[in-house]
Amino acid sequence: MSANRSGFRLWPRHPFWQAVALAFVAYLIFDWGIPALRYVGIPSAPVPNSVLAEFMFIALIGILIYVSENDARWDEFKQPIQATLVDEDKRWVRNGFLLLVPLVVGLFTFQATRPKVQAPIQLRSIHPAPPASITFRGKTMQVAGLENPLRKEGNLADHVKEGRRVYYQNCLPCHGDRIDGQGHFGHGFSPTPLALDDPGNIAQLTESFVFWRIAKGGPGLPKEGTPWNSAMPVWEDFLTENEIWAVIIFLYDQSGFQPRRWEEATEGAPQGGE
Amino acid sequence: MSATGRRVGGSAGRVSLMALGILAFPASGFAQDAQRGKAIYEKWCLECHGETGEGDGAGAKFMLPPPRNFTQAVYQIRTTASGELPTDADLEQVVAEGMPGTAMPEWKSKLSDGERKDVIAYIKKFSTFFEGPAPKPLDFGKAPSSSAEGIAEGRKTYEKLECFKCHGMKGRGEGKSSPTLKDDLGFAIRAADLTENWTFNGGGTVEDIYRRMRTGLDGTPMPSFSDVLDAKIITEEQLWRVAQYVRSLSPEKTPEVKEVIRAHPMTGKLPSGPTDSAWAAVEPQWIPLVGQIIQKPRWFMPNVDGVWVQAAHDDQTLAVKLSWDDRSQSPNPVWDEWLARVMKGASDIDGPLPTKQGPDRFWLQFPKQIPGLDDMERPYFLGGSTRKPVYLWRWASSPDASEEGTGTGFGQFTARPGSADVTHAAVYDQGQWQLQFTRPLVPTDTTAAPAFTVGRPIPIAFFASDGSNGETELRGSVSAWYAIYLDVPTPPTVYVAPVVAVLLTAGLCFMVVWRAQQRGHSTRG
Repeated sequence: MSANRSGFRLWPRHPFWQAVALAFVAYLIFDWGIPALRYVGIPSAPVPNSVLAEFMFIALIGILIYVSENDARWDEFKQPIQATLVDEDKRWVRNGFLLLVPLVVGLFTFQATRPKVQAPIQLRSIHPAPPASITFRGKTMQVAGLENPLRKEGNLADHVKEGRRVYYQNCLPCHGDRIDGQGHFGHGFSPTPLALDDPGNIAQLTESFVFWRIAKGGPGLPKEGTPWNSAMPVWEDFLTENEIWAVIIFLYDQSGFQPRRWEEATEGAPQGGE
Repeated sequence: MSATGRRVGGSAGRVSLMALGILAFPASGFAQDAQRGKAIYEKWCLECHGETGEGDGAGAKFMLPPPRNFTQAVYQIRTTASGELPTDADLEQVVAEGMPGTAMPEWKSKLSDGERKDVIAYIKKFSTFFEGPAPKPLDFGKAPSSSAEGIAEGRKTYEKLECFKCHGMKGRGEGKSSPTLKDDLGFAIRAADLTENWTFNGGGTVEDIYRRMRTGLDGTPMPSFSDVLDAKIITEEQLWRVAQYVRSLSPEKTPEVKEVIRAHPMTGKLPSGPTDSAWAAVEPQWIPLVGQIIQKPRWFMPNVDGVWVQAAHDDQTLAVKLSWDDRSQSPNPVWDEWLARVMKGASDIDGPLPTKQGPDRFWLQFPKQIPGLDDMERPYFLGGSTRKPVYLWRWASSPDASEEGTGTGFGQFTARPGSADVTHAAVYDQGQWQLQFTRPLVPTDTTAAPAFTVGRPIPIAFFASDGSNGETELRGSVSAWYAIYLDVPTPPTVYVAPVVAVLLTAGLCFMVVWRAQQRGHSTRG
């Protein structure tokens, strides 16, 4: 141990303070850095607390391995801890810790034991598996392989126009002008209306899936979709088959997304698009 | 349609050539901006505001207030004097931020600054008025610092200026003129509910309110008070005081919607009615309500936009107090003209529109069988179903009566036979209903109604309708499922555990220090 009489080495080179700084930097990266990646264009999300704890645990192990890599560094690392525990001139720091540590533990215990009020969590599958077939106004339709018939007939611009009308007279209050699920009534429902401009939604679905979701609405969801909570109406009570297909064409046109195709079903020219 | 498309396409080359020039000059006044704006307008605005800007798009009859008619060049939200055109900045503000309390959303999250400027350039083309000189904004000065006396003075000026004629003495829009209000185009228009500043069309801050009073909301019955200043009837400071007073009528912060309503445990007597002072101890919670647009007949123009809920229990009985703003105590013949005017602007897509006023209504909905903690499934939030029915408390204003029973679908209700356990008391006062429901936690017949257990979340949902607005048992305002939780007093064990933890930790710390010092001494010695 390269002992220096007057206590610690210059602190940035001291392993104890290095360990503290490393742990702090690791925390900053996990809690702030990762969620901030989305501002530089990398898809990201806040790190949940349980995952944060796991990351910090791994980081601390790494730091401990570093400080205990050789005996000299390990002794030097322990030195300030030992000094705080023993030295006469560190009495006030020691007493401070003796007071603070039990209080913090007490506070956390209180937070953990005090009664909390929470509504039961409603776990929900947003895009549950569709049924093999549905009955639309008495007509049986196979969902698998089903194509939007309007893409093969008439003028696409006319279908967009018709779908636009259907959307503004029916869907607007919830799904909104920006088709982001934030219409002027959207806040009244839970789950909130689907954001149709989100790349994770209609862009990942076939038109037949979207047809099923519109035609059968919330009550037509399987149990894992929490059908009792969904405010999506059963649109077959309001709209004709063609109106639904038209509004689907409008949604892809307005969002700029392409529907997912039935790969195995496509023979020859791909349908849809312009 | 296709001709328009070609025209836009043909100008695209020219637009990019002009791009440099546009950077060097104010964007307005260039036809190219309007051309680009046209494409944006047709994609995002046309279906409400109409192809010719007359506010008559396909969506127009599905909202109240209706979309703006641009051909008149009459705009509510301005910084210019009454009767003047808005500035470009005013239009940009409305497009960027939207109009709270209406169907007009904010566009800053969808359209870029440039796109919004372009679309404004296009909107201005709907009227020749914009070809004249640019309008000048008024000088609004600064708000004096707020104080209790200032707010009291604001109230006096509010009365002096007769704001109450429309907005009411309580500010809930319950003034005498309320049923007669229409905009310049004859559409029904509500006097703002001044206790809900988050629904103010031009924004809810003191500055916003002051500006609206100075400029008036052109095209609506809301006048400008600038001439009252010019005539020295009141001072600018007094008008600022009115703005501060109006702001003080709403909560300091827009209410946060929480999923759980906590029923306060009361050791004393439960409140005997909605006006009982015991309710002062219970924090009200805001639940937003929106139009029933899920089952036929849908209703796109609801009046009740939310309810303040308070709840209390004493281990025996549950009391729930509901307070919601309603400009009318329905039915009331003075509101006949309002009803006719609303229906004139409404779509009859789901069948004939109501022509007669009914009573006001409020319902609470619970599951017929309260789900267990690990059971996610609830009845269908809109009225339940035959398989999973709901249990309802239903109140109507005329005749003033409540009933309880089972719902097996929206509009499918069977009153509980025999005597009901639910009692109610309702008071209408100056634009607000206050209603209290009371029921024993355990009903007399537990097969007909669920028992409520303390310390457990119970799903709850709400329905309101305003008879004078043509609302019925089907057309009205609804909510999603929330939960009501009958609070239990905090058990003393909650405080024991932290104390034990503190003592244990302290002991451990002392031991560590002591051992270290023993060893420290021994190595030194």
